[in-house]
Amino acid sequence: MTRVLVVVGHGMAGHRLVEEIRSGDRSGRWRIVVAAEEPRPAYNRTLLSSYVDGRTVADLTLPAPRLLTDPRVDLRLNTRVTSVDRAARTVTCADGTVLGYDALVLATGSRPFVPPVPGRELPGCFTYRTIEDLDALRAAAVPGEPGVVVGGGLLGLEAAQALRLLGMRPHVVEMAPHLMPLQVDEGGGRVLARLVGALGVDVHCGRGVASLDEGPGGRVCGVTLSDGTRLPARVVVFAAGVRPRDELAGSAGLERAERGGILVDRYCRTADERVWAVGECAAVLGRCYGLAAPSYRMAEEVARQLLGLPSDGFPGADMSAKLKLLGVDVAGFGDVHARTEGAMEFIRDDRAAGTYGKLVLAPDGRTLLGGVLAGDTGGYTVLRALLGRELTAPPEALLAGARAV
Amino acid sequence: MTAITVIGCGPAAHRLVQRLHHHGHRGPVTVLGAEPEPAYNRALLVSALDGTLRARDLALAPFPPGVRVRTGTRAVAVDRRRRLVRGDDGTEHPYDVLVLATGSRAVLPRLTGAGGRFVPDVRVPRTLAGARPVGEGPVVVAGGGLRGVETAYALGRAGHHVTLVHPGAHPMHRLLDERAGALLTAALRDAGVALETGRRVTGVEPGRAVLDDGRSPAAGTLLLCTGARPDTALARAAGLAVRHGVVVDDRLRTSAPDVYALGDCAEHPGCQATLASAWEQADALARTLTGGDGRLRPARHVVRPRLSGLDVAVLGPPGALRRPDGGEQVVLSDPARGRYGRLVLHDGRVHAGVLVRLPRAVATVGQLYAADRPLPADRLALLLGTGGEYAESAELPDTAVVCQCNNVTKKALEQAWHSGARDLPAIAAATRATTGCGSCAALVRQVCGALAPA
Repeated sequence: MTRVLVVVGHGMAGHRLVEEIRSGDRSGRWRIVVAAEEPRPAYNRTLLSSYVDGRTVADLTLPAPRLLTDPRVDLRLNTRVTSVDRAARTVTCADGTVLGYDALVLATGSRPFVPPVPGRELPGCFTYRTIEDLDALRAAAVPGEPGVVVGGGLLGLEAAQALRLLGMRPHVVEMAPHLMPLQVDEGGGRVLARLVGALGVDVHCGRGVASLDEGPGGRVCGVTLSDGTRLPARVVVFAAGVRPRDELAGSAGLERAERGGILVDRYCRTADERVWAVGECAAVLGRCYGLAAPSYRMAEEVARQLLGLPSDGFPGADMSAKLKLLGVDVAGFGDVHARTEGAMEFIRDDRAAGTYGKLVLAPDGRTLLGGVLAGDTGGYTVLRALLGRELTAPPEALLAGARAV
Repeated sequence: MTAITVIGCGPAAHRLVQRLHHHGHRGPVTVLGAEPEPAYNRALLVSALDGTLRARDLALAPFPPGVRVRTGTRAVAVDRRRRLVRGDDGTEHPYDVLVLATGSRAVLPRLTGAGGRFVPDVRVPRTLAGARPVGEGPVVVAGGGLRGVETAYALGRAGHHVTLVHPGAHPMHRLLDERAGALLTAALRDAGVALETGRRVTGVEPGRAVLDDGRSPAAGTLLLCTGARPDTALARAAGLAVRHGVVVDDRLRTSAPDVYALGDCAEHPGCQATLASAWEQADALARTLTGGDGRLRPARHVVRPRLSGLDVAVLGPPGALRRPDGGEQVVLSDPARGRYGRLVLHDGRVHAGVLVRLPRAVATVGQLYAADRPLPADRLALLLGTGGEYAESAELPDTAVVCQCNNVTKKALEQAWHSGARDLPAIAAATRATTGCGSCAALVRQVCGALAPA
């Protein structure tokens, strides 16, 4: 008998789940209804900046054409789910449609975090998450004019790159003492600031935003920082992190994690055995992961369960990331800040060459726990693949990207 | 026969006289020592202070027979025209060759309240007299340079109640960088030493030392380790060229004919004021004065503070660690085990460095540094003192994840390749590798390249 799987959200995680089910469901067990809030099918959000660099929506779109015409997949765009009734096993959409389910997977993703500063609603302020966000930013961009990005993490630097590609003069404001504080250490941050500065991005670290200032015509005209510095701004982009979209947990009577997110066990299942959450909205054992790779992993594990295959559950993930901005090589992976009990760090810092590399090692001095590369990320993929394993060559050879295959 | 007169009776003078004898000098040798005691090993004064050694245990080997030693005689003037040295006891000592080995003199703070009643016993532990064993009661050590740290550490470990007062941000701030300074701070605390950094001792009052912020730690004894500078008074009065120290060339010649200088009082561009430098200079000068080749080729020395149980080594010119001049450096930081090493490199050779609790690295790095030879490629193994064997083959394991976004292992890539996926698009279609952030493309190509027949 065919059962109905309702997937709420068609982002990267929701799409991966659908793909996995469709490719693995040989007996036709599931019919899938996807409620997608955005007006288009899932796209690769990690490559969003490339959208202002000549790539089209089609280039970024994830589903293969056959999935969009798959009779067993009912993809409903512009469809926002407003509530879940677990007793009735239905979800209700904003237009009043009610969808019944046998299994429900929440893949609602996250929303940009906009810090509560005065002036945040002024015209000329943008978030940075969707194609629509980028279309709006593109329409507002004025070449040669300054634009301020709030947030110096991975996303903030992507946004700065987008402003640059739009011909603007970007400023980046970061509260932490250095850029990309989650992914790199102080040494990597120093190299990163130099590289980004050379691209024409003005970096302001160790300072927050105090207010956004209103100019003639009621548009944003500048940003005042916590130390009193004033930056002129034609546009302001908020890229100060994301928050899980866990509102449906409320109507569904499902538990939220302490710091937000739909609380699930390591199998990504809520307290209701018919309801799962995957991707950025899911707080696996209480922790949210705002990145694509762990979202995919969760989707794959849930798909296995729905297909009746054994699942090991979500194994956890780190904040590994490599900056993909033109000419700027910075990456961090694993235990970047050496927080593991007994961990040691080996650093090679070549200021003449402008490169910085760090490996975090277990107490045995051989097992790789994490690292940072800046100025040269030639070793990133190999090192990343060696995470949790013994080094296969001297650290400096690995950092320099020695062949390891 | 050449008459040699040496002013000073410290380790430099002692070594020089020993080496002169060794090289066959048989002319008259006169040694004038200001201190009353015969020559002793100044490096061990801390052990006298903490009571581990008695004063007589510090005595150096007796001078060779025939050497005239006048201890307790301070040279007060050099008459270059008449070629003689005058002592403070009125004696005159003629010379053909004069050697200045006057060492250094303490730089002392002006202390308010000094000389008052019941004030602490104020001493400078640079001489045998100043280093007599410390009595009961709390000790304040002023100055946390090398000597101050050695002193405070030894006394703390000997069970004294010690406060170390240091104007810098951490002890030995000129020699160590911040992280090494933090480890030293922790070790001092473990030895029971209380630390007052960013502070100076400005005075004494009954039973206390007074700090520049007005506080006053209890002190039965106040030891002044506030630094030293070359003792150049005699040389200056005699009209010799003096900058920081008495200026000498590679043969330890001063600006005056037949007058030489060595040890802490001398200033040679390649030397630091260390015992090892003093010995090296004494060896060179002894060769010169006996007709041999005495050109000084200063070796590069490793400074190793005497801190029992804490292995610290400092390499390179002072200050080089604090101002890495845009070069290459490698760092090992192992806070859990209190280990730390940092090497500043020039052309792959050690220019400066610090090593804390890495005794094996000290041995190998020290040798490479002394010989100015390039370091091996595996600096992690070098710092850890391990063999650096990488047991497995240098290959990526099969189970290693190559595409992180899509969790694709090396093995999965190989399977796809063997099933006919021979280029990146085909591999991507078969495994999804490279379809996330795309950063693994180069490694995917490498994995496939290794499978392709050459």
